[in-house]
Amino acid sequence: MLSRTADHLYWLSRHMERAENIARFLDVANRLSLSGGDKTAIWLPVLTIAGGAAAGLDDSSPVGVINWSVLDAGNSSSIHSCLRAARENAHAVRSVIPNELWETINATWLEARTIGGPRLREWGLEGFLDWVKERSHSYRGVTYGTMVRDESFHFLRLGTFLERADNTARLLGVRAEGVTAASTGADAHDVLHWGAVLRSVGAFRAFRSLFEGEVSPVSAANMLIMMPEMPRSLHACLDMVTRTLDTLSGQSECARLAGAAHANLHWGRLDNLLASGLDRFVAEFLASNNALGEQIHTDFMLAA
Amino acid sequence: MIFDEMKAPNGGVRQAYGAYENWLLSASPDLLPRKHAQADEIFRRLGITFAVYGDTEGTERLIPFDPIPRILSAAEWKTISDGCCQRVRALNAFLYDLYHKREILAAGIIPARHVLANASYRPEMQDLNVARDVYVHIAGIDVVRTGPGEFFVLEDNLRSPSGVSYMLENRAMMMRLFPDLFALHKVRPVDSYSDMLLKNLRSVAPPACDGEPTVVLMSPGYYNSAYFEHAFLAERMGIDLVEGRDLFVDEGRVWMRTTRGPKRVDVIYRRIDDDFLDPLAFRADSALGVAGLLSVYRGGGVTLANAIGTGVADDKATYVHVPEMIRFYLGEEPILSNVPTWRLENDGDRKHVLEHLDELVVKEVHGSGGYGMLIGPAASKAEIADFRLKILADPGNYIAQPTLSLSTCPTLVEQGIAPRHVDLRPYVLMGETATLVPGGLTRVALREGSLVVNSSQGGGTKDTWVLEDDAC
Repeated sequence: MLSRTADHLYWLSRHMERAENIARFLDVANRLSLSGGDKTAIWLPVLTIAGGAAAGLDDSSPVGVINWSVLDAGNSSSIHSCLRAARENAHAVRSVIPNELWETINATWLEARTIGGPRLREWGLEGFLDWVKERSHSYRGVTYGTMVRDESFHFLRLGTFLERADNTARLLGVRAEGVTAASTGADAHDVLHWGAVLRSVGAFRAFRSLFEGEVSPVSAANMLIMMPEMPRSLHACLDMVTRTLDTLSGQSECARLAGAAHANLHWGRLDNLLASGLDRFVAEFLASNNALGEQIHTDFMLAA
Repeated sequence: MIFDEMKAPNGGVRQAYGAYENWLLSASPDLLPRKHAQADEIFRRLGITFAVYGDTEGTERLIPFDPIPRILSAAEWKTISDGCCQRVRALNAFLYDLYHKREILAAGIIPARHVLANASYRPEMQDLNVARDVYVHIAGIDVVRTGPGEFFVLEDNLRSPSGVSYMLENRAMMMRLFPDLFALHKVRPVDSYSDMLLKNLRSVAPPACDGEPTVVLMSPGYYNSAYFEHAFLAERMGIDLVEGRDLFVDEGRVWMRTTRGPKRVDVIYRRIDDDFLDPLAFRADSALGVAGLLSVYRGGGVTLANAIGTGVADDKATYVHVPEMIRFYLGEEPILSNVPTWRLENDGDRKHVLEHLDELVVKEVHGSGGYGMLIGPAASKAEIADFRLKILADPGNYIAQPTLSLSTCPTLVEQGIAPRHVDLRPYVLMGETATLVPGGLTRVALREGSLVVNSSQGGGTKDTWVLEDDAC
């Protein structure tokens, strides 16, 4: 496959996945703010994740954050920009992706570009977020249901899981300070916060069936880091990344890097991983995930 | 009296449209507008769009699609088809001759200065042998009609003619919208176009290619106005859609960058002008091309389709000589006529044209896309005066033709169904021989009375039906 094609496919799926995850972050904030609590503490993390702090933005009011992370065309991490970038990448490779896939992504963008403040108010934030998630599901469904399992498919999957790992780590990082494997108990804010986190990734019911009692930071981190059965956990993401890279080129440097990161989660213990704190773990994971992304670029996109 | 494709002069209906008219009379009056809206919606969702040059927003627009087909009988098609193939065979022979012995110049049939001084003449091609002697792998011949048997060729497009994706997509759309019509008519299929094209491209692999040739389609990229078509054709043929930056030259061959390292490329169906192909040989500022491509081409390491330097044959200054080429190379009489043409560099011609500017169409010799032309009968006095000055400043740059009363075809407009002027572009493919699928792109001038059918100037398209036989 053309290196440039691989690059477009990879970024197409990273952007779709990012749009979905921004929607999930907003969902957490929205749930929390409905239960009262400090508005700034709730909305500021979303702004940070969506690149607002880096851009020097300091309006962490709900409206400010929503405008920035949903609608702002100048913010490359807004849902609007992610859906546009997904569509532009798809446009560049429309001769290699199934028509249905192109139509899904194109239709999503055609609708997204018409959505502004008034439409959002009429729809309600939750309704809009549901729409974003639904479009992302349908993108993945078409991919999974219609694509030949060839390189195109694998590069799309690679982008999805690498981006998801990054996003899950960031989600874990929002309230990570002071959390270690030895942390016991949780205050009311913790219970609310980690409950909302689990709900936003559809993991709350699973939590109830696996654990006794209230949600704690450590039990939530356990689910979202270690458990391969949780489709958005770091472990599950790296399962998919290593499997995909083995298929694409088992001998490559990026396959080695991914294998090492995967082994760490597969064979490691949570108490060791969190020995220096959840925030430290998240920072290191993000750095290694980033390095993996760069190696993938070097190995495949600059290959000739 | 303007000839109409559907309505006979006596008020009846022309034979090819018999079944269609009956169907139309029995259809509910809101059917066509409803189907029309549905088609727009589907085209937009499919992203069958084109970008408009000079539009900085990069906005993509739909080419208006008209739901009423342009129907040709088997006999009409035979004339058009034979005529277009004949023409392309002659034009290809002309290019071979021009870039080798130049017998036609020696015979005094075409003045040497008309071709050798032409900017599209490429000295790099002199004495170069191309695979199978094919220069024009794909040609789009613009045909207009003024009466029952009166077909004229308006223009030959031999560089990289576009629009064939609309021929194919319009058919798919019509079948989706009006399946019942295809049960009533025996319409000849056009679907085999991409298979024929791929077969031809594979048959012109360069001498250096041993084994199965790798064919790619080279596009200027996804901001180009015809990008949809490039992607569409690459997908239909199952070949890679590349840009200049995906290719490089090494050891006398062309390679593409892939996830598994370099892969050799043998045949490039390029949708990019000569000028931009190779920054080392042509325009140095071209970011679209591949450095060193020309040297590989000259060394027989790669085939380009169409060949470099075909533009000299589709120029309007060369156009006037095509009937003579047909006689010279093929020993045949032209099946399709040229439109009478005045060359403004000739004193007599210029005098006549300047006296009749309000009746004539004046075109730039190298222009295309409906830009840079004067349509006398539709122009204001001021526009005519302006154009007169342009002609006088550079007469060699212009030709003039009578304003043909192009045939009309019923078309759905806001007020209902009304006649609008149409042309036809069939696509001729050259491999071992010249062939074409039964059909083409019918372009329609949507504004009442307008004769300009170009999509860049507000023209639309129709599906073109060629019927199996004249009984239906």
